[in-house]
Amino acid sequence: MESLLNQLPVGLSIGAVLLLIALGLTFTFGQMGVINMAHGEFIMAGSYTAYMLQDWAGGEAVIVALPVAFAVAGALGWVLERAAIRHFYGRPLDTLLLTWGVSLVLQQAARDLFGAPNVQVVAPSWLTGRIELLGGNLPYARLFIMALAAACVVGIWAYMDRSRQGRRMRAVMQNRELAAVSGVATGRVDQLTFFIGSGLAGVAGVALTLIGPVGPSIGTYYIVDAFLVVVAGGLGQLRGAVIAAVALGMLNSYAEFWTDASLAKVIVFAVIVGFLQFRPQGLFVLRSRALT
Amino acid sequence: MSGDGPLLRVTGLEAAYGRARVLFGVDVEVGAGRLVCVMGRNGVGKTTLLNAVMGVLPPTGGTVVFDGEDVTRLPTHERVRRGMGYVPQGHETFPQLTVADNLRVTLEATRHRDAAAIDEALEVFPRLKQFLGRRAGFLSGGQQQQLAMARALVTRPRLLILDEPTEGIQPSIVAEIEEAIERLHRERGLAVLLVEQYLELAERLADSFVIIEAGVVRRAGGADDLRDDEVKRLLAV
Repeated sequence: MESLLNQLPVGLSIGAVLLLIALGLTFTFGQMGVINMAHGEFIMAGSYTAYMLQDWAGGEAVIVALPVAFAVAGALGWVLERAAIRHFYGRPLDTLLLTWGVSLVLQQAARDLFGAPNVQVVAPSWLTGRIELLGGNLPYARLFIMALAAACVVGIWAYMDRSRQGRRMRAVMQNRELAAVSGVATGRVDQLTFFIGSGLAGVAGVALTLIGPVGPSIGTYYIVDAFLVVVAGGLGQLRGAVIAAVALGMLNSYAEFWTDASLAKVIVFAVIVGFLQFRPQGLFVLRSRALT
Repeated sequence: MSGDGPLLRVTGLEAAYGRARVLFGVDVEVGAGRLVCVMGRNGVGKTTLLNAVMGVLPPTGGTVVFDGEDVTRLPTHERVRRGMGYVPQGHETFPQLTVADNLRVTLEATRHRDAAAIDEALEVFPRLKQFLGRRAGFLSGGQQQQLAMARALVTRPRLLILDEPTEGIQPSIVAEIEEAIERLHRERGLAVLLVEQYLELAERLADSFVIIEAGVVRRAGGADDLRDDEVKRLLAV
């Protein structure tokens, strides 16, 4: 019972990280139809940003790194969109190959820059403790990750729902052609969307340094699960992404707890495939005239 | 207004979907304050013509000159900002945005940014006022079409381009929409390029017309020529 309880914060924090990653994907995938395989490497860029900042910021590197990683990963995403992806709009398979290639290049670049072995980022001392609760353990670091994801979701929601630029983003997501004939510069909206989506991956990368070591291929481990969250949650939907991310994180951690890592993956995939048989459109649907 | 030429001059316009060519050099002119009707049977390229004029489908040949400026290579949103208002076929809206937000997102993309433009557009379609807080996807087809036209009016266009504005709309609202077009044209002197299948409306409103068949203009003329038997033959199904 005790260890069963301990899996709860593990599952929730993994779900929180997946959510941060999937938020970005759901924008780029939902708005532009781009399957960005390099999104995982923006996570890695965020993690290494925290690693690099240690020399300067010491124990508080993780905190300092949050905004910096957002900017670094966002800038990487922006450059990728401007330099390459925008030439491939409407060609999903070519985009997939292109971004996969970029992902490999970025991973190798990280190996050359930081070395192949994993590195460690030291968590701030005030995040190393834990709360004893009902006989279980609640590490501060995991609580911090959940709070971070919650703050990001609230921030994104407020941005999408309350700001002019957010309204413009939703308009482009819902009807790109109509947005253009309404005078909206859709290309500029795409750039900003890509920046924000990639930046969130960078924030997720920083959060991951609190859970474990950082390596050049850290992104590949999470990118598939993040895509599952996007597909299961429904494209371009905040609500669906939140539910799917938490569910997937929990399923992952408990399946791993009761079986082992590889069997857990099989179980997760089987559940997702089964779910999509019943709801191929995901939990919530954006692209329809009928409303959820 | 710059120059003495027509407000819109389309010359030798060609367009294609991939390898399938649809337009083979179409010429159309709309003078300031005129209403020009584009007619033709289904599938002759009327919608393609409008999409090419707006840059939604980049033309493969020919030129589009608006108010003396060659806009052929400009992105769609730049044409809108220069005064070309477009209402595409099929009462298109942003379904998950409220009616008010549909209009706001358009206003914020204009050059003038004058909030009074929304009130002006709502004066043309007063029925929309009671739905401002409702999501556009919940409106009926006819109400969505009124919203679509109001959205275009918010940009304060000098030329309004309409693609079959009453197609598939419930009869009770068709009259309102036709009346609105007539008022905008007659009272405010708005130039209109209208794609329409039905002779009756064209006869009532148009200053001139072009009939398209298989991607070329087959016939063009003034309102009186519409009573011609040749015209009836070109439009008969």
